[in-house]
Amino acid sequence: MKLTRRDILGSAGALLVAPNFAFEAQAAEPQMGGTMVMVSTQVPRHLNPAVQSGIATAIPGTQIFASPLRYDADWTPHPYLAESWKVADDALSVTLNLVKGAKFHDGKPITSEDVKFSIETIKAHHPFKTMFEPVSSVETPDEHTAVIHLAHPHPALLLCLSGALCPIIPKHVFGDGQDIMNHPANSNPVGSGPFKIAEFKAGQQIVLEKNPDFFIKGRPYLDKIVIRIVPDLSSIILAVEGGQADFLPFLAESQSIIRLQKSDRLGVTDKGYAAVGPINWLAFNTAKPPLDNKAVRQAIGYAIDRNFITKALLRGIAKPQRSPIIESSPFFNPKMPSYGLDLNKANAMLDQAGHKKGPDGMRFKLTVDYIPGGGEEQEGIAQYLKSQLKKAGIDIEVRASPDFPTWAKRISNYDFDLTMDEVYNWGDPVIGVHRTYLSSNIRKGVIWSNTQQYRNPKVDELLNKAAVEKDPAKRKGFYDEFQMIVGDDLPIYWVNALPYHTIYNKRLGNVPESIWGSMQSMDEVYWKKA
Amino acid sequence: MSTIEPAIGGGVPEPVSPLREAWTVYRRNAPAVFGTLLLFAIVAFVLYGTFIYKGDPYEIVWAPQTPPGVEATVPLGTDNLGRDLLRGLLKGGGPTLAVGAAAAIITLVIGILLGGIAGYFGGWIDDLLMRITEFFQVLPALLFAMVVITLFSPSTITTSIAIGVVLWPQTARLTRAEFLKIRELEYVMAARSIGARNGRIMWKVILPNALPPLIVSATLTVGVAILFQAGLSFLGLDDPNTMSWGLMIGTNRQYILDAWWPVTFPGVAIFLTVFAVSLVGDGLNDAFNPKLRER
Amino acid sequence: MGLTAYIVRRLIYGIILLAGVLVLNFFLIHAAPGDPAETIAGAMGGATAEMLSGIRAAYGLDKPLLTQLAIYLGHVAHGDLGMSYYFNQPVISLIAARVGPTILLVFAAQLIAITVGVVMGVLAARKPSGPLSAVITVLSTVGYAAPVFWTGIMLIILFASIIPIFPVDGMTSARFSGGFVAHVVDVLYHLALPAFTLAIIFLAQYSRLSRASMIDVLGADYVRTARAKGLSETKVVFRHALRNAVLPIITVAGIQFGNLISGALLVESVFNWPGMGRLAFDSVLRRDYPTLLGILFFAALMVVIANLLTDLSYRFADPRIRTGGR
Repeated sequence: MKLTRRDILGSAGALLVAPNFAFEAQAAEPQMGGTMVMVSTQVPRHLNPAVQSGIATAIPGTQIFASPLRYDADWTPHPYLAESWKVADDALSVTLNLVKGAKFHDGKPITSEDVKFSIETIKAHHPFKTMFEPVSSVETPDEHTAVIHLAHPHPALLLCLSGALCPIIPKHVFGDGQDIMNHPANSNPVGSGPFKIAEFKAGQQIVLEKNPDFFIKGRPYLDKIVIRIVPDLSSIILAVEGGQADFLPFLAESQSIIRLQKSDRLGVTDKGYAAVGPINWLAFNTAKPPLDNKAVRQAIGYAIDRNFITKALLRGIAKPQRSPIIESSPFFNPKMPSYGLDLNKANAMLDQAGHKKGPDGMRFKLTVDYIPGGGEEQEGIAQYLKSQLKKAGIDIEVRASPDFPTWAKRISNYDFDLTMDEVYNWGDPVIGVHRTYLSSNIRKGVIWSNTQQYRNPKVDELLNKAAVEKDPAKRKGFYDEFQMIVGDDLPIYWVNALPYHTIYNKRLGNVPESIWGSMQSMDEVYWKKA
Repeated sequence: MSTIEPAIGGGVPEPVSPLREAWTVYRRNAPAVFGTLLLFAIVAFVLYGTFIYKGDPYEIVWAPQTPPGVEATVPLGTDNLGRDLLRGLLKGGGPTLAVGAAAAIITLVIGILLGGIAGYFGGWIDDLLMRITEFFQVLPALLFAMVVITLFSPSTITTSIAIGVVLWPQTARLTRAEFLKIRELEYVMAARSIGARNGRIMWKVILPNALPPLIVSATLTVGVAILFQAGLSFLGLDDPNTMSWGLMIGTNRQYILDAWWPVTFPGVAIFLTVFAVSLVGDGLNDAFNPKLRER
Repeated sequence: MGLTAYIVRRLIYGIILLAGVLVLNFFLIHAAPGDPAETIAGAMGGATAEMLSGIRAAYGLDKPLLTQLAIYLGHVAHGDLGMSYYFNQPVISLIAARVGPTILLVFAAQLIAITVGVVMGVLAARKPSGPLSAVITVLSTVGYAAPVFWTGIMLIILFASIIPIFPVDGMTSARFSGGFVAHVVDVLYHLALPAFTLAIIFLAQYSRLSRASMIDVLGADYVRTARAKGLSETKVVFRHALRNAVLPIITVAGIQFGNLISGALLVESVFNWPGMGRLAFDSVLRRDYPTLLGILFFAALMVVIANLLTDLSYRFADPRIRTGGR
């Protein structure tokens, strides 16, 4: 039924003519119209991805706003709002040629001025500072041409121009002088994408309606997308099983996935999450003894059984992950050490590090935190660590936080020993990986910065070089070396890739399976003819 | 506000030892005796169970979602992470009951103090205190408790205080009504005429005579407080490092489609406790007011 | 005192109470440990020192406390409860979208509780020491003693999972299309399970109450006379006895309103009902203080209105009642 990635690669030529961002076989004929009901636990603050990161805003945000480029499942960029683009030979500028006749939802034309405004807004306000930091200026020689000038080569730029990372927002709406972070239009946006906002009930429901003047003719297929926000997992599963909902992205709970896989009516896929690159890991506070000692961190690595976690605890649904770069990324280095379970070695290393066992068989005491509400991936693994690390003479106290802000405050103020954490790669390592390991990103009070307080000048140097290297092979070389070093320093013990799955009604065609999945335009999704 | 008092008033002291008489009535009341025994059993289960059935309730001990009665090491089965539910029930009972009792005591102290002063002194003091009481009754109790706990970070102590702070108005009204009634009685007048100080009269003369309805009210408050504690920890407004029955329901509700037992057992535990407390409260009420028996 | 004067007096009193709630709200949030600005910054995803002082200025947190209080009260008087820390929306519009569903749930539950409770009470009163009476008493106590969120979960397991006949995905079907009548039916269908769950806790109160007043009345002289005149038992019950139970039921219904809202908080969370309770719960988790305090204010407002209505209906049901209290 489903095509493999290799089959797709074989027909890559055809893809360029008619880019197809989903890889469900097109057996049934696409049908125009219909409503797709999506359920999600994610509560968006507002709908403008230009100034807000996260899945919650990205899913509706990418339906409302178009980006210059979009990606397929093989990390290849395709034209979207930019019908073509050109990277200069010196890699210091990128020229975007916009689709002619494209209009915002209010009928005003989408021009290069809007592209310039959008990039400048994102540069100034989006939490992912590395995306457009190298952009020195955006030139607009004519209405349909935007030239992005760079201070230095920025190989991640094309990816930063896709998906939720670069929504093209209307200057005439958002540039009216009001504070963009709290702009009223963030909750009622005038967009550029295939769907327009029909209803936004904060924390309850988002209704998106087909944009009849979308710049790709004949798209979108669907008339309407309803995003129903339901906080309770069991209710969500019931809604999908009962047919009240057709589409459930970002489901990671193993038991529910196994349950839904048994359904004949429902499709279950783990495709569509390559760019998100969600990694579940155990972070060490590397500034705090005894964890400031590399040998202690490595010993903990040898004491943990990653296979037990993925196979038993996570019921075989999750894939093991041993690198800071998601293993499905082209930048992953398969030579990374994996720290297979070896309790003797762990105990010997701890002895050697001067942490002899006390009379109670314990060497020292550590706390482990976890993200509240994270279920088996977080609390489950934290509890597992407690019983497992006892075998290496480490007394673990699991410390629960009542809510996310409390946890974030503890971790970002370095009030922790060990913590479970979930961090996303966000496509290019420059966006989602560098932030965790650069010593320049040790920023107290900021969650998902380098809260491990990890410092290694060689790592800083490699990452800074990789950020500006235009030759892909050389760039990969830098990342390979970086991975080997952090694999040895082990500021973080990477546990598994979060097993995000999409559940969908099998009557839906072209279910999004590109690297961005549902965080990219779903104009190609359609109802099959019954 | 309506000035109708709860139906458990009317504790006019009688010459024969009222406690002895009440006990006679109480022990003939089958539901009350059943409730008392049930309550004792639950308290014993919680107090001594952990000595017999030891272990950390957070520890992963067996395969996740093992049904009850399938595996001898985990007689009541395991939750979504593979934790022993029996351990959770035993360890989680303590905080649940403790918060219930502590909150009831706080309620009683605030309620008796304010209600007593209002009822005894009357006049503008009464007016002022009753306005304050009404003010607190305007705030939906659970919501108010949620706000207090959120602002002052959840712990067993915060939870007890928050529940006590939101539940006292009813006790205050009851105490006030009793004091209003009793302060006009002869022996109070007599005490006053020999120059006894106000505090002494309130504490030594009126309060003991007002006690029966207050005891009933306090008992029922324990039940309400347990339900509040459970509700708050179900919502996640409790110290997650302290196991409690409500917390067990809250963390396992997500997985009810595949496993009914992790939410069912702690719910039954809460239900039985509150049920037992209510039977005891009703029994006490009947015992102190034999005439109301028919109702 | 005339009715108008009475209502005006009660309204003024209600406004004073609500102002008190606001002042309490305000001091609560400022007495809490931690800087509100840092809390706001946390919701935005972390902040630098400049951003913090910017937030303080934007929310007026750099002014003296009493000035802040005056500003806050002034805003509320103009219907402005501030901006949510989480959503990019004014608190008032967030709450406005949620008040309706909560009122619907609370009233439906109240209606079910009173109807079923009274029927249970009447049945029990006919033979106060009979087995039916005992069963009813036990059943209603069981309903009271079971935690409402747990009852809800049990009903979901039963009626949404094992026998899937009721939906649990909110207040309406996401795919809904149809006219007004179909819409009402759709909402009622979604309402059934949560309203029934919430009603269960209050059954005990109403059944006991109506049982007690029925027993009182059924022994009274005029009822005996009515019976002697040959009136059917049903007529006796409904024409004479039940009328006597109306006043205490109204009273209790008024007193219970705050508790109903408390219960709704939990029920909404269990059934994904899009009301104020769920918003309150979400706001707690997000430390969205302005929204939380706004909800507290609105809930108090609802209770004040409910109390006023109770007193009025009291007066209506029994004109002998003197209004105006002490």
